Amino acid sequence: MDETNAYIRIRGLRKVYQMGHTKVHALDGVDLDIPRGSFTVLMGPSGSGKSTLLYLLGGLDRPTSGKIQVGEQDLNSMDENALAVYRRRTLGFIFQQFNLVSSMNTLENISFPMRFNGSSSKARHQRAARLLEQLGMEKYTRHRPTEMSGGQQQRVAIARALVNDPPVILADEPTGNLDTATGFTVMQMLSDLHKEGRTVVVVTHDPRMARFATRMIYILDGRLVSKEDYDQAIATQE
Amino acid sequence: MRLLDLLGLIFYNLSRRKGRVALTAIGVVIGTAAVVILVSLGNGLQRSATSQLGGISDLTSIMVFPQYEEQMAGPGMSVSGPSTVKLLTESVIADITAIPHVTAVIPRDYLRTMSVINYARLEAWANVMGVGAQDVADLGYTVKEGVGTLERGTAVIGEPMLRNFMDPKMRPGQEPPEPPDLLDQQVKLVITKYTNDGQEVRKTVQLRIVGILKESRNEGDYSLIVNMNDMQGWNEWAIGKRINRAREGYEQVTVKVDSVDNVLAVADSITALGFQAYTPQSAVQGVSNFYIIIQVVFGGVGAVALLVAAIGIANTMAMAILERTREIGLMKAIGATNRDVLSIFLGEAAGIGFIGGLGGVGLGWLVGQAINAVALPYLASQAAQMGTPPPDAAVYTPLWLPVFAVVFATLIGLISGLYPALRAATLVPVVALKYE
Repeated sequence: MDETNAYIRIRGLRKVYQMGHTKVHALDGVDLDIPRGSFTVLMGPSGSGKSTLLYLLGGLDRPTSGKIQVGEQDLNSMDENALAVYRRRTLGFIFQQFNLVSSMNTLENISFPMRFNGSSSKARHQRAARLLEQLGMEKYTRHRPTEMSGGQQQRVAIARALVNDPPVILADEPTGNLDTATGFTVMQMLSDLHKEGRTVVVVTHDPRMARFATRMIYILDGRLVSKEDYDQAIATQE
Repeated sequence: MRLLDLLGLIFYNLSRRKGRVALTAIGVVIGTAAVVILVSLGNGLQRSATSQLGGISDLTSIMVFPQYEEQMAGPGMSVSGPSTVKLLTESVIADITAIPHVTAVIPRDYLRTMSVINYARLEAWANVMGVGAQDVADLGYTVKEGVGTLERGTAVIGEPMLRNFMDPKMRPGQEPPEPPDLLDQQVKLVITKYTNDGQEVRKTVQLRIVGILKESRNEGDYSLIVNMNDMQGWNEWAIGKRINRAREGYEQVTVKVDSVDNVLAVADSITALGFQAYTPQSAVQGVSNFYIIIQVVFGGVGAVALLVAAIGIANTMAMAILERTREIGLMKAIGATNRDVLSIFLGEAAGIGFIGGLGGVGLGWLVGQAINAVALPYLASQAAQMGTPPPDAAVYTPLWLPVFAVVFATLIGLISGLYPALRAATLVPVVALKYE
């Protein structure tokens, strides 16, 4: 493991949930280095802890123990305010459920993150309009999420993730709610973001994502495992 | 987050839930309207009471008396010390005239012996008052007929006084005589004194009545008002020696002040000079205090309605936060700080309070106008029967009240939103995002 080259460094990461009287070890000691500009795919069955890892990396939850460092930023030492600024400046999130605000039109949804960073409404509008143009969705400017297909909604969500031009994109099952063809288009879009030089981390159980990845990480029961072990475990389950 | 963006987002969030915001705001509208109406009613009552008091007595005058003895009794203090007597001499009158806001200082004196007014076969007992002014208007009296100028040998008489004229030879059961019309008529003032050996001595003075005072429920109603020089002459005859004003001063002076607002301050200054100052304004102050209590009680009743509305706002906001949990998670994921989320939800709650406050002020004003339209004619007829000036409003809304009501309603909204907004702000983002 080349520590000097790593952009994201995760050490001894644990996350324990209290579910009634039982403790659930969602993550049980994860060490992971992600280089700058890589396309990392986290594969694992549901309940394996892969989403937990992504959300801890995104600063949306706190680990029980362990350390996460992104560039020069140590997430453990940040308060809630600093974490919000970290998410705003460093990250773009893409979700399985798209998480668009249903009452906002496409343009408003895309520019929503810019409301929290003090941009003028003119700057917001211009930036969102340019992203829409890049995605070839100009004619959906005034559409609401319910008036668009799943693929269109996810493209709007990707545009929203890019609106603050973050160096890191975190995607949680981005193709999970899409049909095969549309899902593939979304994968290509994520690959394009990687080619632009962004660090992309995708959580998925869609094996087609592998062809875009620079690195595959397999996770089972809260631990990182090798591809052989992973394949064997999946085969055994089936 | 910039304030303008925050306000924009709050407005946006309120406008996308118009129905529910409106329903919640109606509670605030009713509460605010209740506060506005009840406080305005208290205010209107106070104003009509004050204006009626003002009708009875002139609120811009202060009656000043000499201080004959300073009360300084206390443990260890000498009672036999020289008593400090403060007399209303000409130099003192000059001092009082020099107090800011004093427009006139008018000496007054009363006949120090018995007198009776005779006109034809009629006679009447009167309060004979000497006034050291050119015109009775200086004292605040209004002349109904004739003029108010006070010269030697003339007098001004109060209108109700005319009804006091009786025929001394009238037999029981006989109809009382009509009140005489004395304007420009000569009357006889018969002054009586007793010498040291008990002899009754009479002096008859001819006076021409030049003016009749409008009935105003004050001392002037039952007075015969004469020139100060005439009065001094009669009193010197009554006590049998000359009166030296420089040494003895006046019995009483009336101090006129430019505005009702300055009366109490001027009275305090006069008291500080060592004189006794009486002002009807202090009675009005007492009445005002009473009505302020009424307003507070009325306002409290309205505040209970607002409290109910506050619970409505808290409920609406708690529901909104449940419905928008995922949205809160999203806002945090895209970079909203806890403070941003807190400000947004607090702002929405305050916004509901503000909208309700505006509506309540409007409704309160409308209802106030309606009450005025219904109650004013009745109050005016009541006032006419009592001979007091008609009230100008039954419900009176002072300018500060609408402003206060809107600010208060907004504050109520803000406080109601505090708990829900704090809950929203402290949601763990990942939990909020996964909320179903």
